[in-house]
Amino acid sequence: MNRVGILYVILIVLAYGVAWRRDREKTRLSLAAAGRSLRSMVPILAAIFALVGLFEVFLPPALIERWLGAASGTTALLAGGLLGAVAIGPPAAAFPLAGTLLQSGAWPPAVAAFIVSWLLVGIVTLPFEASVFGVRFALVRNSLCLAAALAIGLLIGVVL
Amino acid sequence: MTPAAQRRRIPWLPLTVAGLYAWAFAAAPERAWQALLVGARIFASVGLIIVAVFGLAGLIQVWLDRERVTRLLGREGGIRALLLAALFGTLLIGPSYVIFPLLKTVREQGARWAVLGIVLAAWAVKIPMIPLEMEFLGWRFSLSRSLLTLAFAFPIGLLLEAALEFRRKG
Repeated sequence: MNRVGILYVILIVLAYGVAWRRDREKTRLSLAAAGRSLRSMVPILAAIFALVGLFEVFLPPALIERWLGAASGTTALLAGGLLGAVAIGPPAAAFPLAGTLLQSGAWPPAVAAFIVSWLLVGIVTLPFEASVFGVRFALVRNSLCLAAALAIGLLIGVVL
Repeated sequence: MTPAAQRRRIPWLPLTVAGLYAWAFAAAPERAWQALLVGARIFASVGLIIVAVFGLAGLIQVWLDRERVTRLLGREGGIRALLLAALFGTLLIGPSYVIFPLLKTVREQGARWAVLGIVLAAWAVKIPMIPLEMEFLGWRFSLSRSLLTLAFAFPIGLLLEAALEFRRKG
């Protein structure tokens, strides 16, 4: 059994209990919102985990090591950052994929750069971001965030 | 998140993965089965965490008074606004097509550019997701990643503001 999962579920159930005592209607709304987003995410998550399975079975670790391994250094870091930047998908998908990469021999800083850039940089959503905040905002923000992703990756390498 | 907007989106990811599996089953049926089982096993092992993640997301979505925070972020300046932006960002949940327009409103209410930059950077911390991250990457990795992302949010926001204001004067 998964202890982290059980602990987390208990905490959330307690939080719902406290919320229920304060405001039943809002708690009901929270539960409905949670159920709705969970249902809409299930197909995507199922696809992501199926993809993780494919990676584990079909993707040769040698390939991951060549592109994202410690020996490749700067190339690995940049590859991680760029892969994350072009990736589209929910953040919940980034972690299992990153876990697979790490297990297959990818360099931790490259994996960290991959995750942070997945969460911070959105090449695919760039046109939308530009339409809301302006082209300059979108370009500057995404460039800064890509640089930050690489820096954070390197720093995580120091910590681990 | 309007249902109509969701319905219009093509489920490209499930379709791509289904295509990959079709190819895998044609090429190497046994290994394709194995891949499917590996994926299902991992999914089942983190199922509880995922349910909890969405449970917390639902609570935050309903109990965090976004209108009040929007007004507060617009009114506050200086360090307080920046700290508030970081706090709000870490709690913020939702896809970009919800968050970007929300932040547009924050800007219209008078918030600095740095506030927007910080909220968007701190948005990557994803507090409800942290147990999921720990499960796959370990707690040291997850903790360092979250704290560093939060720390970097401030220079990102301030540099973004500097870049936007500088260009405007020139």
